[in-house]
Amino acid sequence: MSTPPETGPEPAGPFDELPGDLMIWVLIVSELLVFGAGLAAFLAVRITDPAGFAEAQGQLYRTGAGLNTVVLVTSGAMAALAVRARAADDWLRVRLWLWAASALGVVFLIVKGVEYAGKARDGINVDTHPFFTFYYLLTGFHAAHVIAGVAILLLLSWRGTLRGIEAGAAFWHMVDLVWVLLFPVIYLLR
Amino acid sequence: MTRDPILRAWGWLILFSLCSTGLAVLPDTALGALGVTVAGAVILGLGWAKARIILGTYLGLDAAPFWRRGFGIVLALYALALLGLYVAG
Repeated sequence: MSTPPETGPEPAGPFDELPGDLMIWVLIVSELLVFGAGLAAFLAVRITDPAGFAEAQGQLYRTGAGLNTVVLVTSGAMAALAVRARAADDWLRVRLWLWAASALGVVFLIVKGVEYAGKARDGINVDTHPFFTFYYLLTGFHAAHVIAGVAILLLLSWRGTLRGIEAGAAFWHMVDLVWVLLFPVIYLLR
Repeated sequence: MTRDPILRAWGWLILFSLCSTGLAVLPDTALGALGVTVAGAVILGLGWAKARIILGTYLGLDAAPFWRRGFGIVLALYALALLGLYVAG
């Protein structure tokens, strides 16, 4: 007599180990690939005109971008604290952390807007030099993600489930992650 | 130093950001040509370290060693590719 095959819980696969929703990780990896390719292309084009790129980069405000980095990573910490507060069902702290994270996102956008306004005043646009084509493309696309992230965090502060807040915070951390790669390549490398 | 992993990660991120900005605003004359390139490599290294911290602590991969290793390898290869392009420029 043959023994029936054993049935029981399936062994956990690698995808079960991944924190949060699989789809948010698909989004994170997709975004990293897009920005990663853009930054690699930027450095590849820089090889053809290092002096022109250096001169163009000299017109950026490095300290302001450094300040924006501090603002964004602080905002990321607040989003992480909001997830922790939601897990503890502490709605007051969830709202406070999400509002604070969103407010810092708005500060980031204001600093970015001031930077763009300064460039426009100096007559610098996407056609000025290939450096600025990449600069506007990459920082502009990133700023669009910041706008989306702020909207998502504010929506979640109204009535977010734990799963929703985890996903929203993960999106925000992705925005943070892209910036810490974009910032040194565009603003700092001489 | 705080034991809270989120605050500890935040502290490292702030420190690395200030270090990389500080290196970038040093005048070329203070560094020399080789110094500028070395500073660029250090700045890229700090960016890589910050990305690892965000992946590990903020995005929670510290609790998923398989994925942390995978992302770590890909990120390291990508940082090396950027370094190669930077040095070639």
